[in-house]
Amino acid sequence: MSVTTSESSAPELEEQLVQRLRARDESAMTLFYDKYSTALYGVILRIVKKEEIAEDVLQESLVKIWHSFASYDATKGRLFTWVLNISRNLAIDKIRSRQYRVSSHTQTLEDSSAMRQAASSSFRPEHIGLEEITRKLNPEQKQIIDLLYFGGFTQSEAAEELNLPLGTVKTRARTALKVLAKLIR
Amino acid sequence: MNIQEYIESGILEQYALGELTEAQRAEVEHHAAQYPEIQQELDTILEALALYASAHTQTPPSGMRERVLAGWQQAIHQQNANPAPAEAPATPVVRQLVPEPAPARVSWLMAASVALLLLSAAGNFYLYSKWRSTETDLLAMQSEQGRMASTMQAVEKRLDTRTQELAVLRSEQFREVNLAGMPIAPTAKARVLYNPATKAVYVDVRNLPAAPEGKQYQLWALDGGKPVDAGMLAQATAVGDSLQHMKDVASAQAFAMTVEPMGGSENPTMETLTVMGKM
Repeated sequence: MSVTTSESSAPELEEQLVQRLRARDESAMTLFYDKYSTALYGVILRIVKKEEIAEDVLQESLVKIWHSFASYDATKGRLFTWVLNISRNLAIDKIRSRQYRVSSHTQTLEDSSAMRQAASSSFRPEHIGLEEITRKLNPEQKQIIDLLYFGGFTQSEAAEELNLPLGTVKTRARTALKVLAKLIR
Repeated sequence: MNIQEYIESGILEQYALGELTEAQRAEVEHHAAQYPEIQQELDTILEALALYASAHTQTPPSGMRERVLAGWQQAIHQQNANPAPAEAPATPVVRQLVPEPAPARVSWLMAASVALLLLSAAGNFYLYSKWRSTETDLLAMQSEQGRMASTMQAVEKRLDTRTQELAVLRSEQFREVNLAGMPIAPTAKARVLYNPATKAVYVDVRNLPAAPEGKQYQLWALDGGKPVDAGMLAQATAVGDSLQHMKDVASAQAFAMTVEPMGGSENPTMETLTVMGKM
């Protein structure tokens, strides 16, 4: 597990990576891939639910990250949260596109082989597993977070989907995020 | 501004989940830059989501690293070589190009859509006029074909008639009776073909004076000196155009023709006796 050894140098490594990407160093993208692909792929797959599409979206994410890298502002947040947003937005755009809606509804994520694969540990700086998170969040909170984060639902859409008042959805989302925040080390 | 109220409103969660418009995002960022508490809360939310995301880490299928990196490289070089950011991707590897700058892409897409629409409209118009002219051609062809068919039918009917006539003429069962012109029409000439076995009678005109208005020729069979009606001659028969199948005649020793009112008479008008011949 590389996490323990890279723990201290992680911020430096990130800074280096940012500098190289800003300098349009193409070889830095390989480094970037090795560092972030498993996390980004996990989120994308969780959203689009199909491996081939997840691969496409990951590639689109890399292209977008490369081209819009000038707009990354390190003072506003970590590189990881920035790239995570880009990938998640592209994945959600994908599932909201008409053509995707037509072709989906065939396989749920739980059925796909990807879900049975063991999670990789190449990038897990927070070092917290899904099991631990699932233990801390109650099922209602997890359901809300999954709908909002992976389902691409707005809070209003989630309220409609779950047949709950919008206020309840907002409260549950806030509570769930607070629970998650407490897990950050 | 009540900072706590702002935080409790849930707008920071909406920001983190990407639910806000560009203007709303800018406002949140403005507030965050102004109030450290808001910035801190926002960071916490973003980190909480990042934590949740990274808990779902997945190992990509084997071979994906090479494919994705190669695809990425191809995509960025294709774009570098071709600075128009919205150039349609030539390879299927990259399906969506980077929307930077967004307005240029949108307007390019608009222009492309309009161009495609115009192209499509022109194509439709062309195909429509082609279709219309094809339809006209088809109608013409159909009427031509109808005309041909009825001509064909007429020809077949004539051929049928001629075949029958030929059969009569060639048959050895028919006896030929030559009718010669009488004093009122010395050049008149006709003949009767009579089959005593089947009693069938045919008339074959060689030359007859035209019948006066309102009159037509009637054929008589003379049996034991008594005239028996053998039918009226059609106009076509009278001018020698074809054989005519007349009424059956049980027995006869001679045939004659007179001119009678349309539809014929019960007894011949002897003054108009035009031709006559004995068997």
